Amino acid sequence: MSLSEGPEQPRIGVDEWVASAEERRSRSPLARAQDAMERVPAAVKLVALVVPFAIFPLFVDSDYLMQVGIDTLVFVLLALGLNVAVGWVGLLDLGYVAFFGIGAYLYAAVASEYAGRYWDAAIAIPVIAVAVAVSGFLVGLPSRRLVGDYLAIVTLFFLQLWLVVLINASWSRGPNGISDIHPLKFFGRQVTSLDGYFYVALIAFVVIISFLYLLNQSRTGRAWRALREDELAAELMTMPVNRLKLMGFAVGAGIAGVAGAIYAPVQGAVFPANFDLVLLITLYAMVVFGGAGSLVGVTVGAVLINGLLEALNDADNASWIFYGVVAIALLALLRPWWQPLAVLGATVVFGFAVHEIAEQARPSLVGGATLGDSRIDRLVDSWVLLPQNILTGDGLPTGWLGRLAYIGLIASILGLTLVRSHLWRLIGLVPVLYLAACVWANILVAQPAVARFVLIGAMLVGLMAYRPEGLFGKQRVEIV
Amino acid sequence: MDWDKIVQLLVNGMTLGSVYALVALGFSMIYGILKLLNLAHGDVLMVGAFIGWGVINWLGGAQDPNVAVWLLIVLMLLAAMAGCGFLGVAIERFAYRPLRRAPRIAPLISALGVSFFLQNSVLLLFGADFRSYETFDLVDVEVGISWGPLNVWIIRIVVIASAFAMMAGLWLLVTRTKLGKAMRATAFDREAAAMMGIDVDRVIAKTFFIGSALAGAAGILVGLVFGSINHFMGFNYGLKGFTAAVVGGIGSIPGAMFGGLFIGLSEAFSVGYIEDLTRGRLGSAFSDLVVFLILIVFMLVRPQGIFGKPEVKKV
Amino acid sequence: MRKGLIAASLGLLAAAVLVTSALAKSEATATPAQLAACTNVSLGFVGPLTGPVAFLGQEQISWLRFGVQKYNAANRTRFKVTPGDTRLQAPVARTVARRFVSDRKIMTVIGPSESQAVRVGGNLYEKAGLAAVSGSATAIDLTKGRPYTSFFRVVPNDGIQGPDIINFVSGQLGAKNVVVIDSQDDYSVPLAGAVSTGLRRKNVTVSRESVSVDDTDFSSVVANVGNDVNVVVFATQNASSANTLSNQLREQGKKAIVFGTDGAYSPSQFKPRNGYVSVFAPDLHFDRNARAIVREYNRYSKNRSFGSFGPATYMAGLVAMTNITRACRDGSVTRAEVTRLIRTTNIPSILGGSIRFDRKGDLRGGAFTIYKVTNGTYSPAG
Repeated sequence: MSLSEGPEQPRIGVDEWVASAEERRSRSPLARAQDAMERVPAAVKLVALVVPFAIFPLFVDSDYLMQVGIDTLVFVLLALGLNVAVGWVGLLDLGYVAFFGIGAYLYAAVASEYAGRYWDAAIAIPVIAVAVAVSGFLVGLPSRRLVGDYLAIVTLFFLQLWLVVLINASWSRGPNGISDIHPLKFFGRQVTSLDGYFYVALIAFVVIISFLYLLNQSRTGRAWRALREDELAAELMTMPVNRLKLMGFAVGAGIAGVAGAIYAPVQGAVFPANFDLVLLITLYAMVVFGGAGSLVGVTVGAVLINGLLEALNDADNASWIFYGVVAIALLALLRPWWQPLAVLGATVVFGFAVHEIAEQARPSLVGGATLGDSRIDRLVDSWVLLPQNILTGDGLPTGWLGRLAYIGLIASILGLTLVRSHLWRLIGLVPVLYLAACVWANILVAQPAVARFVLIGAMLVGLMAYRPEGLFGKQRVEIV
Repeated sequence: MDWDKIVQLLVNGMTLGSVYALVALGFSMIYGILKLLNLAHGDVLMVGAFIGWGVINWLGGAQDPNVAVWLLIVLMLLAAMAGCGFLGVAIERFAYRPLRRAPRIAPLISALGVSFFLQNSVLLLFGADFRSYETFDLVDVEVGISWGPLNVWIIRIVVIASAFAMMAGLWLLVTRTKLGKAMRATAFDREAAAMMGIDVDRVIAKTFFIGSALAGAAGILVGLVFGSINHFMGFNYGLKGFTAAVVGGIGSIPGAMFGGLFIGLSEAFSVGYIEDLTRGRLGSAFSDLVVFLILIVFMLVRPQGIFGKPEVKKV
Repeated sequence: MRKGLIAASLGLLAAAVLVTSALAKSEATATPAQLAACTNVSLGFVGPLTGPVAFLGQEQISWLRFGVQKYNAANRTRFKVTPGDTRLQAPVARTVARRFVSDRKIMTVIGPSESQAVRVGGNLYEKAGLAAVSGSATAIDLTKGRPYTSFFRVVPNDGIQGPDIINFVSGQLGAKNVVVIDSQDDYSVPLAGAVSTGLRRKNVTVSRESVSVDDTDFSSVVANVGNDVNVVVFATQNASSANTLSNQLREQGKKAIVFGTDGAYSPSQFKPRNGYVSVFAPDLHFDRNARAIVREYNRYSKNRSFGSFGPATYMAGLVAMTNITRACRDGSVTRAEVTRLIRTTNIPSILGGSIRFDRKGDLRGGAFTIYKVTNGTYSPAG
């Protein structure tokens, strides 16, 4: 990789490595795609995002899938809001879901049996947005004196507190929550069908993403970017750092409030347990995966992650997704084209060999049956090791063999990242892939609900280590 | 003055406080050397607790252990400290080291991922049942000091004593040994320490080892004195441990010890008296609110904590 | 005259024969192959498989799968179980409800386990004619006023548990000073509230405390328990916590004994020196008639510990499978048909007696059993 055409005098005042960062970046095809996308006008991008959502209800006739669609849109809104605080201002807001909860409970307070009121949504939603934004402002007040890390803990504590209050205060009806929430009513007309709610959420999405885009292009957006890059320098440039941070908090909170106000009537009830840490970490996964700082990125991230989580709920689909993702990852990360195919082929052969040996040597190692029920599970039944005693009838790994295999898998994956030589890494990949398939078939597929979260956690760590900018984010060059 | 109740709350507070102090120590050490808040620290404690449970089961179970009780406890502590130590080193190596030059927010998000991963892995491997150390079978509750209003179970004494012993050991390590000197130097100025020939990576790894080992020990102590463990117990201890570290002064060892005891006692007394003080408006569930307020007050009024020095940032 | 009589009786006889044969034809039994095909459906389990009370859901689904395997082997049917994890969260339960409603392979829902999930899913199931048979949702409002016509439960509801506890604590135990603790979830808070109110009406001094579901240390709450408190009623779904509470009471020299509600029932985890626990169904471990099935389950699950939640869900599954098989006698089955048949269920129960439902979907003749625990040994109390 050469910096320029030939040996040159070092330029004074220029950091060569930083200056050539752009050029290094432009070599990757994904980066070139990103640059091409930058040139597309924003309006076109907006339409491209909205159209798939708009036609979604036409292709879907099951209530369940419509519900998933609405949930996805709500998640997209939440991700957009979180993006403001985390991606644009650079504040780690770990209490974000509390604002979601405040919005939902506020809607319940103005449109349910509980308070005997029934506000029109055209009034309720803007009011709630402002109210929650104000609460975001208040929560952000300590941030003036706090460094980013401390802020994270303070916001986390705030979330805990909010949950404690919800559960124990009498006005929140405790853990039973508030039910009988009235449907959204726009100028007197109620929204009663799932399709209706989907379109309401879609309209909210369009409004919010346009608002955010314009905000980003404005002076405030530029100030946020400066603040994120170097707070001290921004302050020296006389930017009102504190006010900008508070604004970031408030805008993010307000968007979460709108999401809550839509979510509450769709569900018909709100409970404190809805707004927990699992939701928070899932949102972070969406934002990080899609690319913090990029509006398109977090939208796509939210759709993909939520879709993946829903799909992994079902043991039948789960195995397809697992093997599919592994294959895609191999194809994407290993170039040229024959390397991933060689690895896959070698793994298959290796697997059969091990299976045969095990069958001869100790038949109990292959006597069991996988709990997954799809075609692909039956296909790999004769390929992976399925020890007979590893599972009880209900799919909990009670034996130490299962636990050791799992730990061994994690250790070997981590160890593989330490191997320097590319060739040895490829060779090592073969038994590791086989072990992964065995662990999947024996342990993970039996508990898809938990396996999803394990994968999300691992993905977060891997993303931050190897590709912190996610899919659509911009790689940041930091000068230390 | 209900002396019975006050004495009891003191004992409870000391027990809780010792555990929080151990967690706070780990937090402090790691923050001091890397300026990183290890959000996964509480889950390391949880893994330690499960390792201890494994040891109990391997040695015959709490009803009828194969070895003497004191030996069992020692083995559990050693196993958990070793296991968690290595876990901490692995976490540092794979989740934090690649992010040393990244923006501050990156390792925090990575820590969230690690925490989530650990919790759900344990859930996957051990199931969702609360696991019990069954300490109440090992050593009956009535064995201990019983003197007037003071009713202290011997296990509580073991917990408090071990915690203090470990803190003393750590203090000696940091102030008297070469490793301790290297740790202090690296915490003060990483680049200068590297230039002085200190292998910074190894020192950081050893710091993580020690800090995580302390968390693992805390996990064992929690399991011993409260009996049951589950996969999401780490979150609470992490949060309270962090509060203790901040209150005491992050980066300071006596500060962590003091902070832990302070937070433990505050929690115990707030559960005991919050209903009386607020005239019935707030119940014992709001004790977390008190701890939170303490944290906020310290952060706004004295962010360097009680024993810390105000940080002057050089630009 | 006699000829007329003979003719009339012959005619009647002929008519009777015709009618009987017509009826008999409509009940033509399907062939084994048809039965197998017809019962190749799924029982949808709705309950918390992850989250704070995951062990409950896991125990229930374990017994359900055991029951399905046993029934399939005995009757050559092909039932399956589809898990629907609610994570103890209402919106997730609602999504699960929609998923199960649109999945045509699911013929009956077993559960929902938690009352909250019934509240958010009940009308969805009802609209789809999908029967939901629960082994643990005991909240009173689920059947009061008959809000959901397709919801049934094989266990008595909390309307019976509360008074049972109140009567026992104030009557048989003669307590004058009681502390009632809830664990901040939708099971314990209403129950604790009902018990406190009822006890106060009987002139018992009651004070209220509250702990969180994931709390494992109760020392400070125990410090609040006065020396003249006789009983601590602990509404919890976690037997291990009840055990810790009773030990910490003893540790601090308090005289109060613990009375755990049905969530605390677990001979392997709740082993106080002195205590009581109520449960919505008799414990199979103490039932001589249930020894065989307990042995079978232990073999199936490799001695996984269980309380009363599992066997109740087993019965729910049995109710579903029995009625689906009945419906399949003519070779085909629909959800509405199954729901209709469930209303007429009358099968013997491994929990004693038989399962029959009243008009509202509640179990007929259900009652809570109270056990006394002495040094970890359970024995039926009054």
